[in-house]
Amino acid sequence: MSRTRQLIDRLRDELGASAPMPPAPPLPRVPEPPARVFPRRHEGSPYAREAARHTTALLGIGHVGTRYATDVVLQFQAELAVAHEAVATELPADWATQNGLIGLRSRVRDHREYLLRPDLGRRLEPESLARWTQAGQHGVDVQPILADGLSAVACMQSGLTLLDSFTQACRARGLTVGVPVAARYARVWLEDEIGAAVSAKVAAILLGERPGLGTGDGLSAYLVYDPRIGKTDGDRNMMSNIHPRGTRPEIAGVRLAVLARAMLDQQRSGVELDLSGLRTELGDVASRAHRAPQVRVRLVEVAG
Amino acid sequence: MILQALPPRILSVRRLPNADPALLLAYGADPQRHRSLGLVTVDQDDPTYVALDEATKHADVDVVFAKSFYAGARHGSGPLSGEILGVLAASTPDEIDEGLRAFVRCLESDACFYAADDAGKTAVFPHVIAALGRYLSALAGLSPGDALAYLVAPPMEATIGLDMALKAAGVRAVRIFPPPTETNFAAAWLTGPLESCEAAALAYCEAVVRVAANPKGEVWGS
Repeated sequence: MSRTRQLIDRLRDELGASAPMPPAPPLPRVPEPPARVFPRRHEGSPYAREAARHTTALLGIGHVGTRYATDVVLQFQAELAVAHEAVATELPADWATQNGLIGLRSRVRDHREYLLRPDLGRRLEPESLARWTQAGQHGVDVQPILADGLSAVACMQSGLTLLDSFTQACRARGLTVGVPVAARYARVWLEDEIGAAVSAKVAAILLGERPGLGTGDGLSAYLVYDPRIGKTDGDRNMMSNIHPRGTRPEIAGVRLAVLARAMLDQQRSGVELDLSGLRTELGDVASRAHRAPQVRVRLVEVAG
Repeated sequence: MILQALPPRILSVRRLPNADPALLLAYGADPQRHRSLGLVTVDQDDPTYVALDEATKHADVDVVFAKSFYAGARHGSGPLSGEILGVLAASTPDEIDEGLRAFVRCLESDACFYAADDAGKTAVFPHVIAALGRYLSALAGLSPGDALAYLVAPPMEATIGLDMALKAAGVRAVRIFPPPTETNFAAAWLTGPLESCEAAALAYCEAVVRVAANPKGEVWGS
């Protein structure tokens, strides 16, 4: 800026003639907002309406103007809170012994570390490993492992049911089943070390799965043949959404036992496993017939 | 708000790369040294003199012609006439271009009149040149590089202001242009150390503002 202009600006200040801001321009008249009411529009297509009855996914939720209806938004937020809460829940340290299981622990020391360090959740803590090598039954066909995973809520709610049905279904197919254990702070690959320590032929870990909207209580099961450290996800077969609104634990146990049987017969697992013959073995639990309409759990009620 | 800048409008900028010798002679150029001309018209004459002088500091150009028109920009002979015609002369068109660039820069960001009253009807030009170029220094009888306070205002305001300016700082009047001039303003050139020139220009400007606000003084005022 030029020197003379600076001097004149300063003189204007000294004369007290500076206006700090130019006067505000006159406001234009603001028209009244239109008196419009946006009624809730329900999904018009009968196909979409019917499809929405058969899933808990956010289908056919309608709209109000250009946004979601208030109850949909509130329901979304409530279900998200349920999922957050499930991740934050921890399996109590004495839960295993109270339910007659052997309690093991991964190398993770606390819940925060569990979320941040998946690698530590895949290895047994040395004391647990020694105790398990001592107490476990060696050379069994199937070693079941119950674990918290990312949802201790699911593990505590339906974990024992699934474990029971799986154990019974295995025995019914002539398989020897190891002593059941419950692992804390466990990731899926922990089954490799637990299974290898007792030389089990198949290791099966049943653990709480990553919660989604409205499913904080889902279990997943991962089976691997010839468990040992170094197995990859390609060596595993898995089943997800084991909860009352998905695959019920009683049915899931049977399907998993059939899967374990196939692994022992073919002596392999994962992508190499031939699943084509399983359909006949599964019988009526393989049914993919019409599913009954699912009722969404209403966490929020809106009057009217 | 008073003392708002009144930016000069450059009405035309043209160049004659190879002017006719007769034309060169008529406008005061030397055909031996000059071939090219740069011509400008502006609606404020005194900022233009300052900007033409500025051009001589940035390029090898001479200001061969610069004259104010009678009665100012509001009585121009045409839409491009403005208040002044300035002519730069040089040996090559490139020098002219460089000089014109400095000229435009100076008018856009430095030299301008200011409004001395809220209505903007009283214009004052309290300009300080920190270092003179070859053009104004020759007119003022000073050396290039000297400081100059270039003070212009309407007759009454200019007279009161000049008295204040001369008394405010250790400055010397180089030239005083009493009214009437071509544009009917009155002007003065003061020189001295740069700080003194600045103090004189501020005193001049303040006096112009006070006279404009109270034209009849304490005795005869309302």
